Amino acid sequence: MFSFKLGLKNLTRQKRRNALTILVIAFAFFSYLLMDSLMNGMEEMSFENIKNYDTGNIQVTYPEYWEDREKLPLENLIYLNQDMEESIKDTDGLLGVSPELRFKANLNNGIDEVAVMGMGISIEQYNEVFATQNYVVEGSMFAPGESKAVIGVSLAELMDLKVNDYITLLVRTKEDTFNTIDVEIAGLIRAPNPMINNGIVFVPLDVAQQALNVGKGVSLLALKTVSGDEDTATKALTDSFKNKDMDLKAYSWKESAASVIALSVAKKGGIGAILSIVLLIGMLGIINNVILSALERTEEIGMMKALGMREWEIVFVFMVEATGIGILGGLAGCLIGYAGVSGLVKYGYGLGYIGGDGSAYGIPILDRMYGTWNYPAFGFLFVLGVIVALLSSILPAYWAAHKDPVKAIYHR
Amino acid sequence: MALLELNKVKKIYQQGKIEVPALRGIDLTVEQGEFTTIFGPSGSGKTTLLNMIGCLDTPTEGEIRLNDKKVSDLSRKELAMTRRYNIGFVFQSYNLIPVLTAYENVEFAIRLTDHTSESQMKEKVLKMLAEVGLKGLESRRPNELSGGEKQRVAIARALVKEPKLVLADEPTANLDSETAAGVVDIMRKMNKELNTTFIFSTHDPMVMKYANRFINLKDGMISADERRG
Repeated sequence: MFSFKLGLKNLTRQKRRNALTILVIAFAFFSYLLMDSLMNGMEEMSFENIKNYDTGNIQVTYPEYWEDREKLPLENLIYLNQDMEESIKDTDGLLGVSPELRFKANLNNGIDEVAVMGMGISIEQYNEVFATQNYVVEGSMFAPGESKAVIGVSLAELMDLKVNDYITLLVRTKEDTFNTIDVEIAGLIRAPNPMINNGIVFVPLDVAQQALNVGKGVSLLALKTVSGDEDTATKALTDSFKNKDMDLKAYSWKESAASVIALSVAKKGGIGAILSIVLLIGMLGIINNVILSALERTEEIGMMKALGMREWEIVFVFMVEATGIGILGGLAGCLIGYAGVSGLVKYGYGLGYIGGDGSAYGIPILDRMYGTWNYPAFGFLFVLGVIVALLSSILPAYWAAHKDPVKAIYHR
Repeated sequence: MALLELNKVKKIYQQGKIEVPALRGIDLTVEQGEFTTIFGPSGSGKTTLLNMIGCLDTPTEGEIRLNDKKVSDLSRKELAMTRRYNIGFVFQSYNLIPVLTAYENVEFAIRLTDHTSESQMKEKVLKMLAEVGLKGLESRRPNELSGGEKQRVAIARALVKEPKLVLADEPTANLDSETAAGVVDIMRKMNKELNTTFIFSTHDPMVMKYANRFINLKDGMISADERRG
């Protein structure tokens, strides 16, 4: 089709302007792909950090405790019995169970005091569920039977503490009397989830239970399951508890990560807004290009009409040209986007500008965020970009084609 | 039956509140095969008249019939189709498409009308380019051609679809006299060989000596209409 050929040939006119439009589109595509990769990476890392260092895949507790869990109450604790253990053991894909006693405490180093969350854990079971042990940067996790503590590096820096120092945790027992836990620091951790590093003191479960006077009570059971199976396992567990007339309930990690999930939803909105801006930039570039081309080629348009070309045929010539620019811009954008995303996946993006700690912004990520590959985004953006280029050329092209042929031919 | 008939054609342009009459009542009949020049001073209405005849513009009053069809009754699409199949244009400023070669500029016109095979189409275009003396220059772009050569491409583009009527608005205005003579020669040859009707607007006395009909326009009216030989 000759009009198609003419449209393509017109791409070689005004090379600098076309190249600039292509560059603008490419840069907009590149920015979107980078942002999309980073946002998805942030989401993925956040979820992994929550599961691997905070909640496990599933948490089992009483609904009353769950309601008040932020307040770290010592009410509605779980006292494990055989029925409970059987129900949990029967969970499909179960990899580990970690009982936790969470409590409010004030950490005292002899000079200063700071409010922290105490976490009584059974170290062997904890290690089956969480990966925190891999991030001990000094000393070690306490061994079973040891009466020691592990704290985060950030907390240690804040309180000027180091390994082998003694700390005192001031706690209130179940009966609301004061008690203390005096322990030596066995190790310092620097987990990828900064929330773990900033305000948690890990102590042996039996030490915590004794100090808080809760018997064998635990706040919750953190379960590790095969990833992706959480929803089915959560439902199965809750049903199993119900069948045995137990009030316990299972909660997927997603329910503990509401704020991060809310961020993720906001992220989708943000990505949508960025996409709109990207498309708007492309659209404006194309419209500007078609209008300038039409103004420069007014006589030519007049000649085309004199030759008997119909308006839609002239519109088609401009559309081919605009679509060509869209395709080239899209390809260039995807190409540099590929390079950019490769860099993000490999080297990540440092959080130095926010002090390396995302937790201040509700993001459980430390030091560096990494991008992820989202191949459909490349295809989607390219196709959408080409469609937008094509559609945004129609109106200015129609304006050009609709010119009075006499005025067009003799416009000079 | 005449190829073209104009009855009391008037064209008035509105410039703000002022009405500017460009044509004040033209009666004209042109037969197939005539080689006609329209001459007259600037502002006499030559270009306006050509635009009316070429279906690029419509009269304010009066009637134009081309091939016995009333032009003012035609829709935009029908006007475009009339121009496509029946009329060839040659402009003073050539109006070639700069990204196309001489061959492609001519091919462009025939592609709109001719739906024969590729090889036949190619043959026609090459023959037409050869007819206007551009053999060997087919692959040159307009910026690689002289003014005379560009105008020959424009003539080839107008003639390749074998229209009944070719309208040329001051086709030699941008050419030196020798080149202009060559261009008019070609048009005269085509007129004789293909019986194509040519209507020129021109100031150029050299062009006028080739014509067999002379229409003198003055203040939007025909002041003289003379046939020769």
